[in-house]
Amino acid sequence: MKHVVGLDEPGKRVILQGNEAFARGAVEAGVQVAAGYPGTPSSEIMETLSMVAKDLGFHAEWAVNEKVALDVAVGAASVGARTIATMKNAGTNWVMDMFSTVVYGGLPGALVIVSADDPEAFYSSTEEDTRFLAKGVGVMILEPSTQQEAKDMTKAAFDYSERFELPVFIRSVTRISHSSGDVTFGEIRKERNPIFFDRHYKLPFRYNVYGPFKYKGKTGPTAKHAWQLEQLEKIKEFVNEVPFNKIEKGSTRLGIIAAGMGYAYVKDSLIKLDAEGKPWILKVGTPFPLPEKLLKEFIDSVDKILVVEEGDPFIEEQLYAFMKEYAPEKPIYGKTKNQVLLRYGELGLSQVVNAVAKFLGLNPPKVDESRKKLKEEISAIIAPRSSALCPGCQHLGTYWGLRFALIKVASKFKDKWKGVWIVNGDIGCYEQGGYGIFAKEIIPSTKKESKRYMFNNPYEILDTNYIMGGGIGLAQGQYQAGYRDGPIVAVAGDSTFFHACMPALANAVYNKAAITFIVMDNSWTAMTGHQPSPSSGWTAMGEPARVIKIEDVAKALGVEHVFTVDPYDIKATEETIMKAILTSVEKKVPTVVVARRECALQVARRASRSGVNLTYYTVNQDKCIGCTLCVQLGCPAVGWDKEKKKAFIDPVLCVACGLCAQVCPVKAIVPAKEGVKLTEVK
Amino acid sequence: MAGRNYYLMIAGVGGQGSVLLSRIIGDAALMKGLSVRIGETFGAAQRGGAVHSHVRIGEEVYGPLLIEDEADALLALEPLEGLRRGVIYLKPGGIAVVNTRKVYPIDVNVGAADYPEVEKILDALKKLGARLVAYDFTKLAEEAGTTRAMNIAVLGAYARMIEEADAPFDKVTLLEAMKGRVPKRWLDANIKAFELGYKVADEEISGK
Repeated sequence: MKHVVGLDEPGKRVILQGNEAFARGAVEAGVQVAAGYPGTPSSEIMETLSMVAKDLGFHAEWAVNEKVALDVAVGAASVGARTIATMKNAGTNWVMDMFSTVVYGGLPGALVIVSADDPEAFYSSTEEDTRFLAKGVGVMILEPSTQQEAKDMTKAAFDYSERFELPVFIRSVTRISHSSGDVTFGEIRKERNPIFFDRHYKLPFRYNVYGPFKYKGKTGPTAKHAWQLEQLEKIKEFVNEVPFNKIEKGSTRLGIIAAGMGYAYVKDSLIKLDAEGKPWILKVGTPFPLPEKLLKEFIDSVDKILVVEEGDPFIEEQLYAFMKEYAPEKPIYGKTKNQVLLRYGELGLSQVVNAVAKFLGLNPPKVDESRKKLKEEISAIIAPRSSALCPGCQHLGTYWGLRFALIKVASKFKDKWKGVWIVNGDIGCYEQGGYGIFAKEIIPSTKKESKRYMFNNPYEILDTNYIMGGGIGLAQGQYQAGYRDGPIVAVAGDSTFFHACMPALANAVYNKAAITFIVMDNSWTAMTGHQPSPSSGWTAMGEPARVIKIEDVAKALGVEHVFTVDPYDIKATEETIMKAILTSVEKKVPTVVVARRECALQVARRASRSGVNLTYYTVNQDKCIGCTLCVQLGCPAVGWDKEKKKAFIDPVLCVACGLCAQVCPVKAIVPAKEGVKLTEVK
Repeated sequence: MAGRNYYLMIAGVGGQGSVLLSRIIGDAALMKGLSVRIGETFGAAQRGGAVHSHVRIGEEVYGPLLIEDEADALLALEPLEGLRRGVIYLKPGGIAVVNTRKVYPIDVNVGAADYPEVEKILDALKKLGARLVAYDFTKLAEEAGTTRAMNIAVLGAYARMIEEADAPFDKVTLLEAMKGRVPKRWLDANIKAFELGYKVADEEISGK
């Protein structure tokens, strides 16, 4: 067994990351099909499942995107299987079309959707609270407060889904998914659902939303909607009985409603404040629908209520609606009218301790003034650490080539253009090309005219960045709006290309957008932890797979000018990108550059596993002229000694890729010792 | 354990093995029959970003996060990151084990910020009330066979430091937990790194 979650040892106690706990829950439930797309903080659920799938005899796959993953899961549940689809918050946006439609008629199998939100946006474009999406669709939401509960809820979710024949939505957050805790294993269900297909199973035309299903005087989708709403009423009753909702009695008439991480922080706060047993607590495990019977009992026992939940005031708003009828005189504290918690950022224990202390009339833990002052003085010397690409990252070569290609193109057309290029980013490791340097201060301008910004590192190269596949669409809009102050470029990774860029590329060809699209192909979905993609040659379960070549796809979509280059060849990369930009400008068509080189981390790992010792590079201090070009490459292994005004290389970090040696104008950078270079690893 | 719970902060840079370190400590707590929560935040990058782990151990723990001045111990795999987390979380009188090997942030390399002198970092931690042991644990790990055992060398030093403090586990438990987590082929190097780290702290404590 390749992972502990596959062990059939009920009662075993281990430390599991929240995502591993979700996976274990699915294993205990006897999952038959699992599909997902990597997205931090959700990726390890599917990664863990894929490690045990073969041994336990179920199918696990990385789909090309979340939408396809959910479609696959729906298909599996339509033939009766127990299925799970996993995604991060942004991915949940992608699945909404199927998610909101499949509930019209539901499914005979089990369908569990796990969506990992990211309050504080540690790894995401937004802090979006996906509970609103699931409520809009009208399905049961479960929200765990510990890793144990993540496991238990997932297992139960399969039963709930089958009971009501509707999907169950589990909402995780970073602090559940990416935290670890002790989890006690339960029994693994040995029975497997029979796989069958009957188009009229229980409901006529069950899997065809337009089928002539008649119900409550309506037909087709409207009839199925009526059916779904009836099911929802049953779920509303049922949630009063689920063990994840419960009342903890208090000795005062103060009440706290807490869900998910909010519950964990409230419990920790009460221990910290020595106030256990004082407030009443309604622990909510189903933020939708709320357990109304429990809610009434709780409200009757208290005079005022504090709501603690991670994300938006989702429960709080439902509570306001409920209280308007039931007990309008009792005040509600939380994130809205009587605000004691911020609506942005993650909750965090500090914030909750303070809010709970205030609510209970207690003193929160305090740091005295002299220590506060000392801390301020110390904090002043701490340099920020901006995010950086890995040592030896092939994207460093692509961005170097792109930066100089843009400068050269701008200078070539300086009479015609203002030379203000636009580089549209996308989601993946290379998005760090837009993270910037924290230590730099930016003053925004106010004039509505194009302006060029120069920079000396790869971390300020991206001008726009929003979502998966967004960059190539944006580039077309800029072009179609008539932007001609400089070349328009978009970049995306290989996994992102398959996820979201193919329709946009077809669009660029069809609508004749003169843009240059650079696909930074490193063969893996690297940023989320090196999951395989259609460019890797492997499936999630470790089976060899056909490599889909991006050049072939681009050509098939009608791109006439497709270039391929190795980003470890810095000169060729610059020249190729320049050629692609010039071609798109002159011929008024989209051009594609595939910058292909396998992720340096993966290659270095392979070397290490096979016992190969990589060499590292060093800067000959006598030869170094202090030009800083190697530092401008942006590799974390290349440092700058401010005193000596010379560059140096950190031997621990260096993976011997040789990029910095290529940019050094005086050949001062050389291998430090005998050993294998990264490019020589098989 | 002084209070009901024991708190640890591990700070480092992506790729240094802070996640593995937090798991080893978690396993050690589990071996003692306690509950554990580990809260990790790492940057978007696989390597090079700031990584820190909150570790909470006790009979009853729920969430993974620490609050200000709560950490009984700080394990710093990189000095700047140690100070970044230490200044917020380390309690007065808490243990701090600091690897003095610097990893420059990109902000320093592009000339937008200065890296504080390591002496100043250590001094600041002392001012915050740390019971400190600082050493080039990367070099120590290299002597043991691989620089990648640096995290384990730090763990070894920590194992010695807790002999003078109130902690939920001891050297034997930590060593056992470590053996269960490191790759087999690196086991000997890691045991050696652990013992070398232990010795460094021992010499610091006994004033040799």
